[in-house]
Amino acid sequence: MNSETLDTLDTYSKNKYKYGFVTDIDDEKPKKGLNEDTIKFISLKKNEPEWMLNWRLKAYSKWKKMKEPKWANLSFPEIDYQDIYYYSAPIGFEKKPKDLSEVDPKLIETYNKLGIPLEEQKVLAGVAVDVVFDSVSVATTYKGELEKLGIIFCSIGEAIQKHPDLIKKYLGSVIPPGDHSFSALNSAVFTDGSFVYIPEGVKCPMELSTYFRINAENTGQFERTLIIADKGSYVSYLEGCTAPKRDDNQLHAANVELIALEDAEIKYSTVQNWYPGDENGKGGIYNFVTKRGLCAGKNSKISWTQVETGSAITWKYPSCILKGDNSIGEFYSVAITNNFQQADTGTKMTHIGKNTKSKIISKGISLGKSQNTYRGEVSFLRKADKARNYTQCDSLLVGNQCGAHTVPYIDSKNNTAVIEHEASTSKINEDQLYYCRQRGLSHEEAVSLIVNGFCKQVLQELPMEFAVEAQKLVSISLEGSVG
Amino acid sequence: MSIQDNYLKNKKNIFFSENKDIQSHREKLINIFENNRFDKKNNESLKNINLKKFIDFKYRYLISEETSVINNNQENIYSIVSVNGQCSSFKDDKIEITKILDEDYNDFSKNNTIENNDHFVNLNSLFLNSGFKIVIKKNNNIKIKISNIITDDDLTIFQKNNYICEEGSSLNLIEEYENKNNSISNILNVIKLEKNSQLNHFLIQDNSPNHNLIITSHSSCKKDSTYTQKVYNFSEGYVRNFHYSELIEANSEADLQGIFFLKDNNTTNNKTFVKHLAEDCKSNQVYKGILNDRSKATYFSNTHVDQVAQKTEGYQLSKGILLSDNASYFSKPELKIYADDVKCSHGSTIGPIDENAIFYLRSRGMSKIAATKILISSFINEELSSIDNEQMSEIIQKKLVRYLSKVK
Amino acid sequence: MFLEIKDLSVKIENKNILKGLNLNINKGEVHAIMGPNGSGKSTLANVLAGKEDYEIINGRINFKENDLFDLNIEERAQEGMFLAFQYPVEIPGVNITPFLHSAINSKRKRMNEEEIDNLSFAKLLKSKASDLGINIDMLKRSVNTGFSGGEKKRYEILQMSILNPDLAILDETDSGLDIDALKIVTDGVNKLKTKDNSFLIITHYQKLLDYIKPDYVHVMVNGSIVKSGGSEIAAEIEKDGFQKFQ
Ligand SMILES: Nc1ncnc2c1ncn2[C@@H]1O[C@H](COP(=O)(O)OP(=O)(O)O)[C@@H](O)[C@H]1O
Ligand SMILES: [Mg+2]
Repeated sequence: MNSETLDTLDTYSKNKYKYGFVTDIDDEKPKKGLNEDTIKFISLKKNEPEWMLNWRLKAYSKWKKMKEPKWANLSFPEIDYQDIYYYSAPIGFEKKPKDLSEVDPKLIETYNKLGIPLEEQKVLAGVAVDVVFDSVSVATTYKGELEKLGIIFCSIGEAIQKHPDLIKKYLGSVIPPGDHSFSALNSAVFTDGSFVYIPEGVKCPMELSTYFRINAENTGQFERTLIIADKGSYVSYLEGCTAPKRDDNQLHAANVELIALEDAEIKYSTVQNWYPGDENGKGGIYNFVTKRGLCAGKNSKISWTQVETGSAITWKYPSCILKGDNSIGEFYSVAITNNFQQADTGTKMTHIGKNTKSKIISKGISLGKSQNTYRGEVSFLRKADKARNYTQCDSLLVGNQCGAHTVPYIDSKNNTAVIEHEASTSKINEDQLYYCRQRGLSHEEAVSLIVNGFCKQVLQELPMEFAVEAQKLVSISLEGSVG
Repeated sequence: MSIQDNYLKNKKNIFFSENKDIQSHREKLINIFENNRFDKKNNESLKNINLKKFIDFKYRYLISEETSVINNNQENIYSIVSVNGQCSSFKDDKIEITKILDEDYNDFSKNNTIENNDHFVNLNSLFLNSGFKIVIKKNNNIKIKISNIITDDDLTIFQKNNYICEEGSSLNLIEEYENKNNSISNILNVIKLEKNSQLNHFLIQDNSPNHNLIITSHSSCKKDSTYTQKVYNFSEGYVRNFHYSELIEANSEADLQGIFFLKDNNTTNNKTFVKHLAEDCKSNQVYKGILNDRSKATYFSNTHVDQVAQKTEGYQLSKGILLSDNASYFSKPELKIYADDVKCSHGSTIGPIDENAIFYLRSRGMSKIAATKILISSFINEELSSIDNEQMSEIIQKKLVRYLSKVK
Repeated sequence: MFLEIKDLSVKIENKNILKGLNLNINKGEVHAIMGPNGSGKSTLANVLAGKEDYEIINGRINFKENDLFDLNIEERAQEGMFLAFQYPVEIPGVNITPFLHSAINSKRKRMNEEEIDNLSFAKLLKSKASDLGINIDMLKRSVNTGFSGGEKKRYEILQMSILNPDLAILDETDSGLDIDALKIVTDGVNKLKTKDNSFLIITHYQKLLDYIKPDYVHVMVNGSIVKSGGSEIAAEIEKDGFQKFQ
């Protein structure tokens, strides 16, 4: 590698995290640590009915007997579950504020800084946002308009109060609390998150979006999201996240469940930009996320798109269970790791129904001293006649101290199903760099352009409003300084 | 019976059991078995294996009255019949064949870094009762054909062979495994290629349904050497092909290929693993399989590129054709890359025979079954046409025809 | 002097490729270099553009009062050097339009000129493309990706006409073009030619020089220029090949 490339790398690895500020706000927390009292505290704070509390306690008793899953290519010190706060709310949030005049101006200011204005006159056009600050949902925009269509978009806490039937029916139906230790943990202590229900035949006219922010120190965030698309409906949902810079690692263990009934389609996009830690690997979010979608009905479709640039550790496999005949699952992923970040991410496509199709496009970019693993499983069960999968995973290495790994599991038990899988790993192409620079682009611009080109297949799947943002984010996670 | 009891009971029939060093090594192995039971859940490489057969076996070994034959009628061509894993000694100015010695055992068990918790290799080390060592002397170019014969039913052969290709030598090695009796062979080949040497290794496997073959190889390549391995698995009994290669010096190459043909209830487990530990090396891992009836196969491939192994080229391909509703194929093509200047890729496809192609051939007047057979042959055409030994090519063709005759 | 190459010797992987090469180009001149395959023509072009694989063992190059070796690849480009590659590389996912837009603005920035906005750039690109017979749809594609050999060459010339270089080096731009495409490409070059810019045209056929009239023709054999003169040399090569120069 020539010296110039090294220089550029050097600037990359000094990656500055623009969302690293802390909001100075009083918060209310229970004692640190996890026990039945903590769970009762959370449930009480949320004013939950008894069945919900029992559901949580059952999950907790499962969790106590479980060990963390070990398959990932990650190394980190053992998590001390007794050294974490499981709930944190800005004071005065026993009930969700009715309107913004009840919200602490400091919070509104925080979201302005993050580029998510909450004030009525400034809200993002065409995007309804539910904003979660530490453990509680603070605001939901465009609520009225959605209600007219019968769409429910609210915090999960509110849904437990107002739509207990839907919650009882679907919560935990795709990710059973006992699935693995992180799902059990989340089920026991989840605090907030979003709930979406799209009624039969309704095409949701705007993007629904949740914005997660961890602010308080030593606090875990355990959000729970549940999206149900009833027959023939459509929804596109986007999730974004940030956290302040802190020297300690913070735990984030979310569960996201999607259910698509007959002819319904859910598009779920994530731009994950949690604090990744500094250039020496200090601090950063531990992101252990379980995302799973069930294509329950015929002709249903679930599509995951993720741009993962943040977190010290990413452990995440958005998956699809393709149960309905002709259902479709998609997974588009860009994962960039820099400095000491570690990512172990991918997907699981389980083909159960006939004629089910899945597509996986994964792009991994490793820089600095990071480790980046794609881990994916495609399985065709006996009855999955004529099922199809296409998988493409490419890795790019920038610098000679990082690692890029590809671990696909391919399992076919049906002789009419077809799996096609391609993968490649290489370094950034010197000829392409030369070509771009011969046209006058700087080395850094050229790298950013080529990497963005490498990710294009994925980025173009994002909703328009966010594709440009994501492109910038990709460049930023390479460059180190904001634009 | 526990593995330990089994060992203690049969000690007198096991190689090197008087050697203190080896004994303590074996105690360690026994401990590993005790602590780390054959745990299918956490060890994917045990997927689909009928473990009971290999753990609770009745140990039985005999040295046969028939002796092995070494034939050197033509110059540079040696043909060997090994009986129950043994081979008599032989020496000329080109090759030397001897028994394996304590030091060969130790050499492998101490230096085996690539995979040290393969239970079946550990079983081999524990119950070792046969094996030989062949050295190809410097700058010679020779051919060896080995037929592995087992004389009795219910034998358990634990065999370790060492192959050493000295500097500048070139070896063409054809091994035949065609056993009809009800026995278990667990064979470990330890292969060393010195500078600028070359080994083309063919393994033809065609055992009857009640014979179980576990074959593992560990090859290591020094500067400018090339190891090529081609496995042709037509066995009707269980076969495990696990082949590991280490490229320890610059500009060396490993090429691990295999094709397998399964039918009835048969199972095969395959694994190839290439570790790139030096610059400018190349590797290739290609397995193709046809699965009929209720057969099952797994294939694990892995390219590991160390941080110093710049300018690596590594390629993997796995392909499977499922001919029946009840067949299943699992594959896991892995890349683990710690160097940046690399070109590594893998491809994998599993599916039925291309229906469009069948349609096309039928529209030209061919029956469905004839079309299927033609397409199976063309699926492995590359592997077949690359055999440059006419005699061997004929043997393989015959076996293929036999397999195809059962395809309905 | 506009471009001055003095005693240039260049090595790659321990092999001497250029051996004491001398060449001077003035403003407004068109030079052609002809030579057999492997004589080092592309090497010369790449050394001028600043490609990093080469080891300069001797000599110097001046370009517009600069020591060329003080400038890196992009600085040379921004100073007005353009290389139309013999084998343009494919860059999947990178769209032609924004790519060229950034390129032209990098140059303008260095020249302290105002950057060109999206709209004006799109207009400029469209008009230049249609001059060169390039389908507008092609501008939506990724750089060189899936282009035929001829399309790649045309697209190089499109970039050249957009970036409007002071020194354009065309490395075998004629190869792979049919006669109609050759005409379009050479028309493009001729339109661009002024008294203030210069061309270095590398080819090993004489054909191209029927369309672009060079002021000087140089014969390059085995890493150095063995003969220089006017277009009569091209005719000589056409007749007898390179044999007699070797
Ligand atoms: N990257 C390289 N590594 C080794 N040799 C090279 C490289 N590039 C070019 N060469 C050698 O340099 C010589 C000149 O090549 P080139 O400049 O491409 O010639 P031309 O363009 O005149 O055909 C040839 O012998 C070629 O093989
Ligand atoms: Mg050339």
